[in-house]
Amino acid sequence: MTTRNPAESIRMKNTILRGVYDDNLGIASEKHEPQSSRRQTRRRLFTLLVSLVLLAGGVSLTGMFTVPGSKESTQKISAAIRQQTEHVQPLPTVEVQVPVPVPVLPYSQQTSYILRPHEIPQAVELNQQQLLDYSLILNNDQVRLSSIFGLDVQTIVIDPGHGGRDPGAIGVLGTQEKDIVLDIAKRLKEKLQASGRYHVVLTRETDTTMSLSERVKFANSGRTDLFISLHVNALPQKRFNVTETYYYGPPSDHATLKLAERENSGSGILTKDFENMIKKIGNTFKEQESANLASAIQHSLFTNVKKYDKDIADAGIKIAPFVVLLGVDAPAVLVEISCITKKAEELKLNMPAYREEITSFLSQGTIRYLERRNLHVLKGDENGPKVSRKNS
Amino acid sequence: MAQKSAEKTVDEKLVVGIDLGTSRSAIAAINGKKKWVESYVGWPKDFIARKVVGEPILFGEEAVEHRLSLDLYRPLKNGVIKEGTARDEEAVKELINHLISLVRAKKDDKKVRAVVGVPAESFKVNKVALKKAVAEYADSLLVVSEPFAVAYGVNALDNAMVIDIGAGTVDFCIMHGTVPSDDDQRTVLTAGDYIDQQLYNFLEERYPNADFNLNMVRQFKEEYSYIGDPDGSIKVKIPVDGKPTIHNITEEMRRACESILPAIVESTLELIAKFDPEYQDIIRKNIILAGGGSQIEGIADYLKKVLSEYGPSKVTIVKDPLFSGAEGALALAQDMPEDYWTDL
Repeated sequence: MTTRNPAESIRMKNTILRGVYDDNLGIASEKHEPQSSRRQTRRRLFTLLVSLVLLAGGVSLTGMFTVPGSKESTQKISAAIRQQTEHVQPLPTVEVQVPVPVPVLPYSQQTSYILRPHEIPQAVELNQQQLLDYSLILNNDQVRLSSIFGLDVQTIVIDPGHGGRDPGAIGVLGTQEKDIVLDIAKRLKEKLQASGRYHVVLTRETDTTMSLSERVKFANSGRTDLFISLHVNALPQKRFNVTETYYYGPPSDHATLKLAERENSGSGILTKDFENMIKKIGNTFKEQESANLASAIQHSLFTNVKKYDKDIADAGIKIAPFVVLLGVDAPAVLVEISCITKKAEELKLNMPAYREEITSFLSQGTIRYLERRNLHVLKGDENGPKVSRKNS
Repeated sequence: MAQKSAEKTVDEKLVVGIDLGTSRSAIAAINGKKKWVESYVGWPKDFIARKVVGEPILFGEEAVEHRLSLDLYRPLKNGVIKEGTARDEEAVKELINHLISLVRAKKDDKKVRAVVGVPAESFKVNKVALKKAVAEYADSLLVVSEPFAVAYGVNALDNAMVIDIGAGTVDFCIMHGTVPSDDDQRTVLTAGDYIDQQLYNFLEERYPNADFNLNMVRQFKEEYSYIGDPDGSIKVKIPVDGKPTIHNITEEMRRACESILPAIVESTLELIAKFDPEYQDIIRKNIILAGGGSQIEGIADYLKKVLSEYGPSKVTIVKDPLFSGAEGALALAQDMPEDYWTDL
């Protein structure tokens, strides 16, 4: 500081200013993520499915329940939705009436996401006007099932992968996946629990062997609202490092699309399709929320980990039929944090400070998702950069 | 082109440096104004409270004064915006707005350009949230870690270490000619608030009949804090059964103040030890204390003594701990090239 000549100290100052600028540019750029068109189509597909299912659910349930004060709750919901729609985009101003007679119970009183009708629903004809109203709400991306039904998250299950006899992936230095993910899971539990709002459980607290079906059973036996499975990746290419997050979604089958097309043309809905649709509402909810959680976590994890390894690749959010994701009833994601096969990454994973950082990225992503869910408003940048399908 | 636009725009902008602290937040502006407030934000609880306090929102001491009528927030408790609470984010936003309004001349609609120094920990954890909170009131801004802002302000850019003893956190930062990375920084959570709590506990233990609260304890600390040998005995008035009574708190004060030392010493030594061995000696001679905690009597001497066991050391205290962060941030804002700003 004292011995430097003026030219040198000016140069140093410039380096520092440049550094501050770079740091902040990183923060700023997080806002301007380009939207991919693929995502849009994917989302439209969601909306289509949701609209159909809700349409069916709404109509069938109208016939079944007579909920005291349902008119009042209807108005409340419609008001809430109107408010949401006002926020986001200029929609045609149509009085939105939502005859959703589903009693909006706190989640603790519900037994399942799947709404089970007590009796076989009667066929109900929808008139053109009702249909229009529905499509206005449901084709709006801002409406989420979780918000319509007022579902709240209370219990989060974190699943550290592998364990016991199954070490998972092993790095060249001998680091085992099971140890890394268990440690991160414990930290994540502490972090999430610190907010005082969630009950967090681990599938395994120690280094024990646990089969996939046991994990699924564990998650489904309690009242699980969210399920996060933690893994570390292994790649044959030792120099690559990649972060990815999976959720389970059914492949978009042709028949469903055809059905959707037919129904949207404006005719009534067939009774026999009702049951299937109402069951599907559960799956749709799960898929919708899983996708949102996956993207929130992936976004937080990738953008932050990139600071440690600028070469790390963003594999994005992927859909894959992993057993744990398929079997768990609640919204579920599987996070592949990074690649233990890259030596530099393995070294980092061995440091508690790095694991703590990873944990905070994971918890940031999760909390961000939960916050948004609480807000009942879907932001435009909710979904990550890309969704690709993996068939395995 | 850059030159020209720089000349043109400097006059139109209100350039400010803001130090967003757990306990106190300060602002320094290019127009020479300097202001600070206690980092409290309060909203009236209901319409009656609204009528009583006469404002839709209150800040600083005023907010503390009316705390019974208010939902009171100290948004940067423990140095970070508490996760998941929208109100805390809003409180940060309002606080910044308030600070800017303090230095802004009336009817002045100049664009605001700000550098905001935040506790090192919150810089790491939720700088995006902070940036969002500030973005509404500043037209362009940079977020930097608070000890770094201090270092920049006192021109300690190379081979120096800043120890910023705040209310919620003690932040350490080593400077070596570049922007400090996470490795160069450390945060310890036993700081000013911790001293208050300790002092409160000690006093409660010794004077079970005395009637005091944390706020009073904090005032005692701000007046009498010390480390090492006392200059005389510290006597304060605390009511007992409603009657103001003199209590001697000399020993309790010392124990409370010294309770934060072990963590500070440990982190200092650790950070120095991690640094390039060739420069460790230079750093030890270039230690700068900042923040409210630097005002604890004897703390610089104590640190110097401990560090001297490892080699010659020098510990200095910044001139104006209340504004050193804000002024550093302002200096940074002024030095930042025009081109950089335009992208932000």
